[in-house]
Amino acid sequence: METSSYIALSRLGALRREMSTIANNMANMNTTSYKGERMMFVDHITRSKSGDFIADQRLSFTRDVASYRDTSEGTIEQTGNPLDIAIHGDGYFVVQGPNGAQQYTRNGNFRLDNTGQMVTQNGQPVLTDAGAPIFFAPEDTNIVVNGDGTISTENGQIGKLQVVTFDRPLALQRAGNGLYTTDQAAIPIDRPQLAQHALERSNVEGVLEMTRMIEVSRRYKSTQSFIDKEDERIRKAINELAKVGSN
Amino acid sequence: MRSLSIAATGMLAQQRNVEVVSNNLANMNTTGFMRRRTEFHDLLYQNLRRVGSTSSDAGDIVPSGVQIGLGVKLAAVYRIHEQGNLNPTDNAFDLAVQGRGFFQVQMPNGDTTYTRDGTFQLNANGQIVTHDGYPILPNITVPSNAVDVAINTSGEVLVKLDGQVAYSNVGQIQTAIFANEAGLESIGSNLYLETPASGNATTAAPGTTGYGTILQGFLETSNVNAVEEISNLISAQRAYEMNSKVIQTSDDMMGTLTSLR
Repeated sequence: METSSYIALSRLGALRREMSTIANNMANMNTTSYKGERMMFVDHITRSKSGDFIADQRLSFTRDVASYRDTSEGTIEQTGNPLDIAIHGDGYFVVQGPNGAQQYTRNGNFRLDNTGQMVTQNGQPVLTDAGAPIFFAPEDTNIVVNGDGTISTENGQIGKLQVVTFDRPLALQRAGNGLYTTDQAAIPIDRPQLAQHALERSNVEGVLEMTRMIEVSRRYKSTQSFIDKEDERIRKAINELAKVGSN
Repeated sequence: MRSLSIAATGMLAQQRNVEVVSNNLANMNTTGFMRRRTEFHDLLYQNLRRVGSTSSDAGDIVPSGVQIGLGVKLAAVYRIHEQGNLNPTDNAFDLAVQGRGFFQVQMPNGDTTYTRDGTFQLNANGQIVTHDGYPILPNITVPSNAVDVAINTSGEVLVKLDGQVAYSNVGQIQTAIFANEAGLESIGSNLYLETPASGNATTAAPGTTGYGTILQGFLETSNVNAVEEISNLISAQRAYEMNSKVIQTSDDMMGTLTSLR
């Protein structure tokens, strides 16, 4: 008899997790190259204890089976910094992870470290198409990154940034700090479209997230009032049944 | 409730954003000021259902799993070393660096600091000093009987002494460059300190390959772009408001929970 409450409860839990996802999207509204996250719900169908159908339907619980990234491109913003590089279209930069494994990012907010090496804001080296780190001499001025990723200074060409893509980009695992990891093989893009002096902004649309949030909150409330009513119904049933028994 | 603390990280981040923007705007007319930009990173992710796990014993792999992010953090506030405009001042000791390079300043404690602010003056001994009275390095003294001072693009200080026709060289200004200028530490008063992140200073005469040239009678204005800062301010404020709405809504949802019988 309590199954309907459990179904409502499964919905409350899922809605709470969706709310967390929305909160994370909002918190990262101004995070460079952040991609919005969405929840995917399915009905999880089980048989009732007696095996019967209730009103021609089997019991269906809510389950959040997957969260997926909205991979649409964020707006490209000019920053004026020569080491800010945005990827237009598909692709990820390759950086060296802390344990030597490659990590991938669309956040092209790079800088130089004390040895003149091109690194991410966390100090991880950015790799060329040959898998090598990129070094600049102190005298190298006028760093130019061409649209296809070749880096040159007035003293000549230094290397070509590696930009890769994947068969299943949604299966990349987020590692925080704008980085992704995966065990899929990276497929190099020969002619990426890069923009120097620019960064890709987060693709979160504040207004859309707001409406999603309102929706979640309303659904949450209506589910909660359903549980209230259900509770009332059961209470009433018990009272009525008890009366029948005492007669 | 996770969304409460996630939204809190968002509000905190936007607060930092506004602080950085307001510092940029406050220094709009500061000579040689370099604007700052905040850079945010997403925090760790909680795997409710791991990416790449299998959904059946036939080996089907779930396409994306359930990953819930835990908010945002301030990753860096970095300086953008873009050349500011050069403003003519007609003052003989106002110097601007066109291109890369910093003037070197000797602090009272013996440290060397670096600056792009070239508003120099002479002290009682005729030494070229900053507006705080700290001498520039290498020390240059202008004789008291000098009637004209010319500083050329490669930093040579040439003076014309009273009664002489030819200019004589009394010193050479050296500028410093770093592998990573953005790694210098700001200590206020337009001065920067060398850090492990910036790399060691290499000094040379201005105009050497890789070094900028010096312009006498000019000052470098700040590189703050007011329009850009104001638009950053607006987007930060909106993001702040939206995050506070998330907190309100989460609180609301928790409220309905406690009213459950």
